[in-house]
Amino acid sequence: MRALVLAALVTACTPANGKRVYQNNDLELAVGNSARNGCSCRYVMKLSEEQCRAWVRANPDVASVRFDDEHQRVESVAFISWSAAAHVVDARHGCVLE
Amino acid sequence: MLVRLPVLTALVGSLCSAAPCPQRASWPTTEWPVKLVDRREKAAEVEALESFAFTLTGKDSERLGVRTDALLVFKKGVLVYEAYARGYQANTPHLSWSVAKSFTSALIGVAVKEGVVSLSDSICRHLPEAEETGHCDVTVEHLLTFSSGLLWQEEYENGVYQHSSVLSMFYGKGHRDQLAHILSHPLIHPPGEHWSYSTADAQLAASIAKRALEGKHGKDAFWRLLFDRLGLGQLVIEEDSKGMPQGGSAMYATPRDFAKFGFLFLNDGCWNGERLLPEGWVEKSVTPAAAYVATRPVEPRPNGLSWWLNRSLPQVDRPKPWPDAPEDAYAASGYWGQRIIVIPSEDVLIVRFGDDRKQPIDANELIKRALAVVR
Repeated sequence: MRALVLAALVTACTPANGKRVYQNNDLELAVGNSARNGCSCRYVMKLSEEQCRAWVRANPDVASVRFDDEHQRVESVAFISWSAAAHVVDARHGCVLE
Repeated sequence: MLVRLPVLTALVGSLCSAAPCPQRASWPTTEWPVKLVDRREKAAEVEALESFAFTLTGKDSERLGVRTDALLVFKKGVLVYEAYARGYQANTPHLSWSVAKSFTSALIGVAVKEGVVSLSDSICRHLPEAEETGHCDVTVEHLLTFSSGLLWQEEYENGVYQHSSVLSMFYGKGHRDQLAHILSHPLIHPPGEHWSYSTADAQLAASIAKRALEGKHGKDAFWRLLFDRLGLGQLVIEEDSKGMPQGGSAMYATPRDFAKFGFLFLNDGCWNGERLLPEGWVEKSVTPAAAYVATRPVEPRPNGLSWWLNRSLPQVDRPKPWPDAPEDAYAASGYWGQRIIVIPSEDVLIVRFGDDRKQPIDANELIKRALAVVR
């Protein structure tokens, strides 16, 4: 786990080919993606949990997803330290990443 | 009288020259008329279409092959072919991805018609935040023609994550205030000169449309001025936590409802006798942008006002990108193979939603086979 986190942090801080480098690590992006798109999949597209887990699965598959149907909210966690959540705003505006 | 006569003459002339709205036997505001093709009569053509469009390879979890979720074809305003797969049904809303950019362009069209936006407006007229960051030379038209000149790295999850302006905006440090994130990018080209496909440009345009229309018509103006009129009342547009619409990527509707947007363009921006988009808007939307022509980007499909065009450009030695489709075809197009394809000369719409993670569906082949079914 430490090796993966370290690799992500090193990647995040390395300039390359004159491109702008954003200070986001892979795990932060992975949980953000899983939370927001998991929320939209489940509560906007109204697909099943199984379908939505498949929809947001990243490679490597490091982010777990938990659906809270009662509150229409999705949490995603990776290696304990990284987490994100998204919830439904209203019927016209779908989900927002918190 | 001498003073008024020219005014009156001009007004009458203007009324006489105004393009009339197309007439249709019916409008699909509530439901599409349905008359499905006879699968026995068109067996070979339907088989050719389906064997191409619904080609799962290996297990679904491997995400290989052409992964169509919904495929619909409309001819002369009638739904003539419809099929769903992978757990999707007619009432399942689908994610638009960048099909949303064409919607955003149309919403600017509505704002122009309402007199609250002009294509030549500096974005600073509508987004005062852009003054502080030095982006006032960018106009609304630059945004719709992807020529803002921003240093924007339109990359997704297939590259280095940390190089993606898009991932950073949606899921990284920029996600809570996406307008600030976009405006943190400097200009690297003079606005209007360099074409570069950009979700940032569409997001800025969506913010302008929202502020301008809600400033005049109040909350949810998008729905009252456009979507409800098309019978697209269930359409969802996600926003960031500051209220910036995800007009570059995140709208949701059923495929039948998405088709209504294509039908609006097939009918010159009119709906049931009422002009919803300014006269000439559709024509301008499907005319290759000067910045695209000047830039000659790697992208082979010319782009107008955020629509993809099947136009050949002999002046820059570019053939039409879909050789088997009529040259007047154009499309709203999104990641993973989302497509709303409009073919005016055939009076045909093709709506395809899918989940092509490896390679998007070949649009030329799709159009060729779909046209064979309805001709």
